[in-house]
Parts: sequence; C-alpha cells; structure tokens
Amino acid sequence: MTTVSAPAAPARRDRKHPRLHRFLHQGGLELACVLLGGLALWSFLSHVVIPRPDRYLPSPGSVVFSSADMLWKGLLPDFVTNTVWRLLIGSGLGLGVGIPFGILLGLNRTVSDMFYPILNFFQSISGIALLPIVMIWWGTSEQTVIFVILYTVLFPISFNVLVGVRSIPRIYINALRTLGASRLQIARDVILPGALPSIATGARLGIGFGWRAVIAGEMLAGQRGLGWMIFTAQQVDLTAQVILGMTLIGIMWIVLDRYLLRPLEADTIQRWGLVQR
Amino acid sequence: MEGNAVMREKLIVEGLSHHYPDEYTGMDIHALDNVNLKVTEGEFAAVVGPSGCGKTTLLNILAGLLPHKVGSVRVDGHEVKGPGPDRGVVFQEHAILPWRTVERNIGHGLEIQGLPAPERKRRVQEFVDLVGLTGFENRYPHELSGGMKQRVALARTLCANPVVMLMDEPFAAVDAQTRITLQEELNRIAIATRKTILFITHNVDEAAFLGDRCFIFTRRPGKLKATVKINLPRESRVWKNAVADPAFTGARDEILSLVREEVRDDDG
Ligand SMILES: Nc1ncnc2c1ncn2[C@@H]1O[C@H](COP(=O)(O)OP(=O)(O)OP(=O)(O)O)[C@@H](O)[C@H]1O
Ligand SMILES: [Mg+2]
Repeated sequence: MTTVSAPAAPARRDRKHPRLHRFLHQGGLELACVLLGGLALWSFLSHVVIPRPDRYLPSPGSVVFSSADMLWKGLLPDFVTNTVWRLLIGSGLGLGVGIPFGILLGLNRTVSDMFYPILNFFQSISGIALLPIVMIWWGTSEQTVIFVILYTVLFPISFNVLVGVRSIPRIYINALRTLGASRLQIARDVILPGALPSIATGARLGIGFGWRAVIAGEMLAGQRGLGWMIFTAQQVDLTAQVILGMTLIGIMWIVLDRYLLRPLEADTIQRWGLVQR
Repeated sequence: MEGNAVMREKLIVEGLSHHYPDEYTGMDIHALDNVNLKVTEGEFAAVVGPSGCGKTTLLNILAGLLPHKVGSVRVDGHEVKGPGPDRGVVFQEHAILPWRTVERNIGHGLEIQGLPAPERKRRVQEFVDLVGLTGFENRYPHELSGGMKQRVALARTLCANPVVMLMDEPFAAVDAQTRITLQEELNRIAIATRKTILFITHNVDEAAFLGDRCFIFTRRPGKLKATVKINLPRESRVWKNAVADPAFTGARDEILSLVREEVRDDDG
C-alpha cells in the first residue's frame, strides 16, 4: 500500500497567555527593553555624571515623586484633562471644516486652482507663528489656543482629502451615473467612502500636529494644561515637573496614536482591500 | 404595422459622428463617422472592430457619458441627453465599489431608485442566484476573483432593469477558461431575461457565439462596415457544440475576414 504522508502540521505553540504573546509579538519586548535601557541611562547620568541633578536632570525617582505630589493635590489630572479637551475640541473643529473643504477642492479644479496658492502660503506659517496675531485679537484665552489647534489641523486634513478625492477612479462615478444616481447620491456613495482612507490618514497626521500645537499654545497663551505647566515650572526651576510634563506629553501621544488613530486608519484601509491598489 | 415596427427598435443610432479635440496638436481625432444602426427588442447585438476604431466612444455616447453633437441616438424612442437608468452599462474595468459588499453592489441601482429594503433584498437575491454568486453575498470585491467581480457588475446592471444593456469588452480582463464560462452564462442570462443587449468585443469568436447579429466597424474613423447575421438558436449555444456547427463557424469566419481587411489595411 502506498500512502503519501501528509506534511506534518506545524507544531502549534501552546499559547496560555495570548495577550502577552501578542504584546511581545507586536514589538512590546523591544519597547520594554528600550524603555528600561533609557531609564537606566537616565538614572546613571543623573546620579553619577551630572552635578546638581535637581537643577539640570533630576533622577526618575524624583520625577515620580513630584508627580505623586501633584497627583495628591489634584493638579495633574486637571492639567491633563484640560489639554486633552482642547485637543479634542480644536481637532474636531479642524476636521469639521477641513473635510468638507478638502472634498470641495478635490471635486472642483477651478476652486482648487484658486485656493492652492493661498493654502500653500498659510501652510508655511506654523501655528506658533500665528500665535502672536491671535493673541493680539483674543489675548491669553481658551479661544486663542483652540483657534491655533484648528488652524494647525486644517491643512494636513484638507490636503489629504483633496488628494483622496482626486484619486477616486472616474469609472466609479461614471458607473453610478449610469445607474441614475444624483450628484448627492454620488457624493454619499462614492466620494465620501472613497475618500475615507485619506480622511483617516489626514486626521491622524492633523491630530499629531494639533498635539504639538496645544502644548505650544498653552505655553504662550494658556492658563492651565500640560504646556502651561512645563512652561511655568521652568520659570521657577522645577526641573522635575518639566521632565514630568514632557514625559506625559510623549506617552499620551503614543497611547492616542496606537490605540485610537492608527487602528481607525488601518480599519478603513484594510477592510476594503484598498491597500492592494 | 409601421408604428409597431418602430416601437420594437429599442436602440436607434442615426448619422452619429464624433470628433475628439486634441489639445496638444490642435488637430482633432475623428473617432466615429456617420454611424447608423438599430437594435430590436430582445436582440443581442455584437460590435467588433479593430482597436481604436471608436467602439468605446460609441458606448460612452450611448450611455450618455459623452455628449454627441452630430447625429441622433434614441433609446425606446427618447433622445439620449445624458446617463440614465434606462441604459445599463457593464464596463471593461472593474467598476463595482470596493467598499460595498456583493449584495450592496448588486442592489445599488435599486437603492438609487428608492426601492424599499425588503423588496430590494428579494430582487437582489434573485440576481445573486442568477449569476451564480450564492453564498458570496456579504463578501467585499477584493475577496473575489476577476470573473466573480464581473458577475457582480453584470448582476448590478441587470438588477436595475434597464431597457438596453451596453457592455464594453466585459470579459477582456479574465483568463480564457473563465471567459468561456462567462460567455455561456451570459447567453443563458440573455435568454432568461430577454434583455436587449449591445455587446462590444475584440474577440471574433465571442461575437459570433453570443450575437444574433454582429456589426463590424471599419478602422478609425469608425463606421459600420457590414452586418453579419448569426443563425444559431440561442438555446443551442454551448461551446462544445458551437465549434462544430456550420451556423457558428460560417458566421465566425465571415466576421473574421471582414475584420482582417481592416487590420491588414492598417498595416499596409
Ligand atoms: N478622451 C479622448 N480624447 C482624445 N482622443 C480620444 C479620447 N478617447 C479616445 N480617443 C481616441 O479616439 C479613438 C477611438 O477610441 P476608442 O477608445 O473609442 O477606441 P476602441 O475602439 O474602444 O479601442 P479599443 O478596442 O482599443 O478599446 C482612438 O484613436 C483614441 O485614441
Ligand atoms: Mg475600447
């Protein structure tokens, strides 16, 4: 009797801790190593190399201590909430204006040719460069900071949506026209979903820029928030607080990006197989 | 009787010419020249012609996607002024929407027409089954083969129930094996739905296999060169039998020699 032996099934490793397994697989191990290495180096510098570490580079321990102090007083959660709220409101407004604007530009050559030089001009003026004039208008107010975030988010989202709309294959629109679709139906069924991946990409980019803009805005025009915190801490030589603020800014962005923005982007792109094009 | 005969002509093209302006050279491209043809109700009309002779131009004009200045195009007695649901189009490229499932692509025309969901669902299922996509209702296009995508496109057009179906080399991009299957299926579907169809192709075998009549176009500027009638009952059109049937082979050879004349002239 001749039997063809089936190739041995690949041994499936027993996964008792799927979460841990996935974490390690998605670069978690590397991340942990880098973090630990960084902390070790920081401690070493602070304890051994740098003179007067409290002024120039406080050790991780004293940074954590200062954070415990602020947590205790309830200041830190307050600042974090402030900053996040501003980002959400500013970005929300920026996307609300930028997405329709980008679609309009993408659909109409005449309009986009008209606006392009203006857009390009303002794109070169960063949110921070805009701050002085906005502060002349509205002083150090909530409005000022939010306006600067809106302004910062507006350009990446508009440009991305513009390109996204332009790259929708003409044939999709023609096919719908032959099915008797109205302009509105084409906008709803082709333009909007077709531009969705670039809306997601643009939003992620825009909110990234927006995150920097909040901090900068708060430093110069805020009365609370993380940016304001590190700026005022610097003025009174609270170096530990400065470092604490910086660290929080970085960590919060990683969390926001990894658990909200990136999955959102990947979802729209992958589900429709648009990546393969 | 005269009036009755006119009503049975679902598609009438008279004196149709088309020029494309060429922005770079300033000279224009004469794509179609005085085209006259009629397609009667329930007829399957094939159109063949050398590459670049204006077949797609003709289809785009019939579909209303390209406005025409010279001549007239009437569908069911109405002059064509723009795209409309009375003319369904199956394009050469994949024109189904990647963000809609098979089911939602096929029902898109009915959705646009505002048909209520339960009725729509019933109709969609009917056409899903007709084109053999049962079980794939909830798949996205990127999960389908090229042949399956064209089935979706075909079902989407059929489902909207147009007066005339316009097809532009719908099977050109699929492999030879799948193409044969799709041709037999299209024949079966044409019998089942009794649709009036204008079918453009490069492929002479395909034209002779599917068409009741075949219009042969000259090279550019495209005009109607000849019309060949294919006297093969639709019901007996299966590749296995057709290749040995003189009604098929005779028509195919006639079409082939007519097309060859145009291609050879082009070379010489
Ligand atoms: N938008 C356009 N602008 C200018 N010229 C065009 C345009 N579209 C087509 N043409 C020209 O008109 C002629 C007819 O083109 P058309 O696409 O109708 O040919 P076709 O018969 O469909 O060719 P094929 O069999 O290769 O698909 C070609 O010479 C082509 O270059
Ligand atoms: Mg063509």
